[in-house]
Amino acid sequence: MSASTHSPVLKHHFEDLGQQHACERLGMWMFLATEILFFGGLFGAYTVYRLWYPHEFEFASSHLNRVFATVNTMFLITSSLTMTLAIRSAKLGDKGALVRNLLITAALATAFMVVKGFEYAEDFHEHLVPGPGFSADIGKEASDKGLDPGKVQLFLCFYYVMTGIHGIHIIIGIGCILWLVWEAWRGAIPPENYSTVEVVSLYWHLVDAIWLFLMPLLYLAGAGYGAHH
Amino acid sequence: MADHSPAPGATTDDPHGVRKELDSPGQLLVVFAAVIGLALVNIFGSGAIGPTKFTLVFQLAIGSVQAWLVAYYFMHLKQADKVVTLTALSSLFWMGILFVLFLSDYMTRHLLIG
Repeated sequence: MSASTHSPVLKHHFEDLGQQHACERLGMWMFLATEILFFGGLFGAYTVYRLWYPHEFEFASSHLNRVFATVNTMFLITSSLTMTLAIRSAKLGDKGALVRNLLITAALATAFMVVKGFEYAEDFHEHLVPGPGFSADIGKEASDKGLDPGKVQLFLCFYYVMTGIHGIHIIIGIGCILWLVWEAWRGAIPPENYSTVEVVSLYWHLVDAIWLFLMPLLYLAGAGYGAHH
Repeated sequence: MADHSPAPGATTDDPHGVRKELDSPGQLLVVFAAVIGLALVNIFGSGAIGPTKFTLVFQLAIGSVQAWLVAYYFMHLKQADKVVTLTALSSLFWMGILFVLFLSDYMTRHLLIG
C-alpha cells in the first residue's frame, strides 16, 4: 500500500491516505452491490409479469407521460456530470467550484422530484392508479381491446413502487449532497479528503444508472403503442 | 505506525498525489453527450419501432451501454482497484443467478402444468 505525507484527514486506523481512500471506495461499492440486488428483485418481478402480460403492460405504459420522464432523464444524466466535476474540483482544492458543482447537482435532483410531483399529480387526476380509484374509462378502453384491466393496474403497481423507491433514493441523495455542500463550505474537504465527495458520487451515479433502466421498462414499454395497435 | 514518506505521484503543489488521476473535462463532456444521445435514441427509436418483441431487447441494450459508460467513466471503474472491479462484477453475477433461478421456475411452469 502506498505511503503519503501526514494529513489531519488520515484516520488513525489506516496506514496512509491511499489505503483509506481504497477502503472508503470498496465499502461504498459493497453497499452498492446490495442496492443492485435490491433493485434486481424488483426488476425480476417486473420481468415475470411483463413476460406473462406483455400487452397489458404496453397498454398501461402508453398512458404514462413520456415528456416528464424525458425531461427527468436529462436532469439526472446532467447531475451525474456535475457530480463528477465536483470530484475534480475537490481534487484541485477549488472550494468555489466544488460548492457550485454540488449545488447544481442538488438543484437538478430537486428539479427531478418537482417534475415527478407534477407527473404523479397528473396521474392521480387521470385516475391512473391501481385499486378502487382506477379510471373506468381506461378500464373500458382496455376491455374493448381484449385486455384485462386488472393486469393494467398491476403494471401501475410496479410503476408506483419502482419510481417511489427510486424517488426515496433521490431524496436521500439530495440530503447527502447538501451535507457535502456544508462540509465543503466550512473547509472540511481539502484535496486529500476528495474521497468523501467520491463515495457520495458513487451512490448518486447508481441512482442515475437505475433510472436508465426504469425509463425503458416503465415509460418506453408502450412507446408507439397507439400507432401500432 | 504511519509512514510519512511522500505519496506516489506527489509534487510540491500536490503533496498527497490526489491529482494523478484527474478527470479530463473534455472526456467527461464526451461521455455525457454519449449518454444523453443514447437516451434520445432510446426514446425516439422506441416510438418509431413500437412495441414489438425486439423493442425491449433494443431498449435494454441501450440502457446497458449507458450504465456501462456511467460506471466506467463517472464511477471511475476505469481506474479502480481490482477488488472494486470484482465487487462491481460480482453484484451483476449474483443478479444473474437471481434471474436464472426464478426465471427457470416461472418460464417452465406452463410446460409442467400444461
